[in-house]
Amino acid sequence: MDAVEKENTERQRRWAKDRKVGEGTYAVVYQGREVATGRKVAIKKIKVGQFKDGLDMSAIREVKYLRELRHQNVIELLDVFSSKTNLNLVLEFLDSDLEMVIKDRSLVFLPADIKSWMAMTFRGLEFCHRNFILHRDLKPNNLLLAADGQLKIADFGLARDFADPGYKMTSQVITRWYRPPELLFGSRYYSSAVDIWSVGTIFAELMLRIPYLPGESDMDQLKTIFRALGTPTEEEWPGHTKLPNYVPVGQFPKPPLRDLFTAASADALNLLSKCLIYEPRKRITAKEALFHPYFTALPYPTHPSKLPKCTTHLPARPLEEVNGNVEMNSSGPGVRANNSRLKRKLSSPVDDTKTRSIARRLDFTNQTPHS
Amino acid sequence: MAARVKVGGWLQGKTVRKGGPASTTTTRSSTPQLQSTSSTVFGGGVKDASGRTSEYFSMDDQCPVCKSDRYLNPKLRLLVSACYHKMCESCIDRLFTLGPAPCPICNKVLRKLAFTPQTFEDLGVEKEVAVRRRIAKEFNKRREDFHDLRSYNDYLEEVEDITFNLIHDIDVAQTEARIKAYRAENAALIELNIQREEAYAQALKEQEGAERRERELRAMELRREEEEEREEREKGKREIIDKLETSDANAAKVIAKSRANALKRSSARAASTTVSHSNLLKSRAAQSTAIPDVPHVPLQDDWYAYEDLYGLRSGGYNDFMSEAVRKDREGIMRAGGFRVEEAWERALRSAVAALDLLPLSGANPNAAPTFKLDAGGDVVMASANG
Repeated sequence: MDAVEKENTERQRRWAKDRKVGEGTYAVVYQGREVATGRKVAIKKIKVGQFKDGLDMSAIREVKYLRELRHQNVIELLDVFSSKTNLNLVLEFLDSDLEMVIKDRSLVFLPADIKSWMAMTFRGLEFCHRNFILHRDLKPNNLLLAADGQLKIADFGLARDFADPGYKMTSQVITRWYRPPELLFGSRYYSSAVDIWSVGTIFAELMLRIPYLPGESDMDQLKTIFRALGTPTEEEWPGHTKLPNYVPVGQFPKPPLRDLFTAASADALNLLSKCLIYEPRKRITAKEALFHPYFTALPYPTHPSKLPKCTTHLPARPLEEVNGNVEMNSSGPGVRANNSRLKRKLSSPVDDTKTRSIARRLDFTNQTPHS
Repeated sequence: MAARVKVGGWLQGKTVRKGGPASTTTTRSSTPQLQSTSSTVFGGGVKDASGRTSEYFSMDDQCPVCKSDRYLNPKLRLLVSACYHKMCESCIDRLFTLGPAPCPICNKVLRKLAFTPQTFEDLGVEKEVAVRRRIAKEFNKRREDFHDLRSYNDYLEEVEDITFNLIHDIDVAQTEARIKAYRAENAALIELNIQREEAYAQALKEQEGAERRERELRAMELRREEEEEREEREKGKREIIDKLETSDANAAKVIAKSRANALKRSSARAASTTVSHSNLLKSRAAQSTAIPDVPHVPLQDDWYAYEDLYGLRSGGYNDFMSEAVRKDREGIMRAGGFRVEEAWERALRSAVAALDLLPLSGANPNAAPTFKLDAGGDVVMASANG
């Protein structure tokens, strides 16, 4: 056993997996604990075998950036180790996310609660931007909530550092509803302003309790944005017609924000409108946002420990059972087929309760010889 | 103040008892009752804890203007003018009903509504209280608004200076100018501090309310508990008697058994009440008073980004790396939001990062940091060579 392996097994021994809590596109997430202290952690097991050309990009990105960032409002990467053919990331355990809280109709948000969440989001984002890292996938689902109420930015699978001048980046990032217009127009040169747009739409979503700009396709997304905020003019956003994928989508007037956000304070609407400015270079920066009067005005932001919390437990449960067997037979082409079938299942989880129970049984039979 | 309803009766040629019905119904007491004989409500004065103004008067009161005293007029009420001179209500009515007029004592132009009830025997105190209250309204900075104790002390000194000048009428015009300048300079902060104070008062009120509710709830629970316990005891006693009547077991045994049962029940009850109590604490309202919300602090980490070690040149840089941005004639990089400034800033920060750290010492004390410089004057890194 060489030194590297030794080191690895030593690290592996520090953590114990308890149960599976969910599954992403390229990883399975377990709840675990630190053996020495009993502290709860989340272990993200990345399916390496599935990708022909080595490790998935997003895993590399996640390790690369989380290793550098340590902040109260950014998820902490505690350790990395490998087991057999898999890579394991040990992360802070956070049991709910902002999306669950928004969807939980039994919770009532006070304006001060929204202010507190927004302040924590901006603080975490400001820290990323101060370290020249773009998150590129901000959405309520990726803003996790700790037991003490702290909000933490997670999922750095699409993150990257600021590009050098003249260096092209992909425009296919950020979940559509939270994607800024410059990316929808296919811009390959952009900056931190893309994250600010996402935060703006999240801000609106917190106030409305439903997604603010839910486009059905990329094309429809543009239409939805323009319907809500008016079609940008050349004056408002110079040069946007020259962007690679520019298409005129029709002229829409600009309705006042006040019409939709009837209960919001003037400061809140001012901050929101500054997050949703069409010209990216004029959009407010995370740091400027933190000094916006919205945050200093009364009411004070709610103390994190008093923010509304989800009482219902993890809704991801049924999915976890469906996906139970995926990583067990992790090599060969079968996984892919299996995976695509699973995706169908996820979209309509009701119709195939039978296959689900079978999948579970398979899982058990497979698991016993392995472990 | 029902008396005020009949104001204007004299216009109709009637005699109006300005004392109002109150004076007719109350029995005469040994001390004269302070009653307004004027038709004007005089605001101001110093409020006591219950929110009422307590008014000073004495048996030797005499109006300095008309020389009427309490012997001649038991209802004599003296009020204080803006220039801190006393006069009686009838004088005020007489002098100032037709509009602003000079004070008969110092000739300062006064208005009727600017008279206030007297609270303190010494008018100097009266004036000082009024001045201090006025000053405190605007000079409301706190220790947190200053970065060091010294500047806070200087500020307090200045406030005291202004107060002193106003009380003793020294350089009034100049002092007023100072106040005005301060107000203009600190308008935002004054507003903020007023809001803070209001928020604090509000929080205090809420907390008191929550505590009161909790106390009431607890008292109710306690009462209920006592009631239950009493009933329980009665029942136990009745049971024992019933059992003793009907069964022919050992009397001592029967009593001991029912006692044990009673004990078990009472402990179960105690457990249930603690549960209901913890439920109460869980409610959001109770929680909100437990941990106060604090004002927003924009940045809460102390991560050092070397921002004091560099600055961007205002004209930008003509480096070859950002050539692409300069060539961007159509402005698609600009429209997409790319900021070349961020790239420059990153390069500068990378250049200055960790400059403040001392080289590692101890590993090899002889190897003092020696840098090889290449032709361009740059440090040659060891790894680059080997």
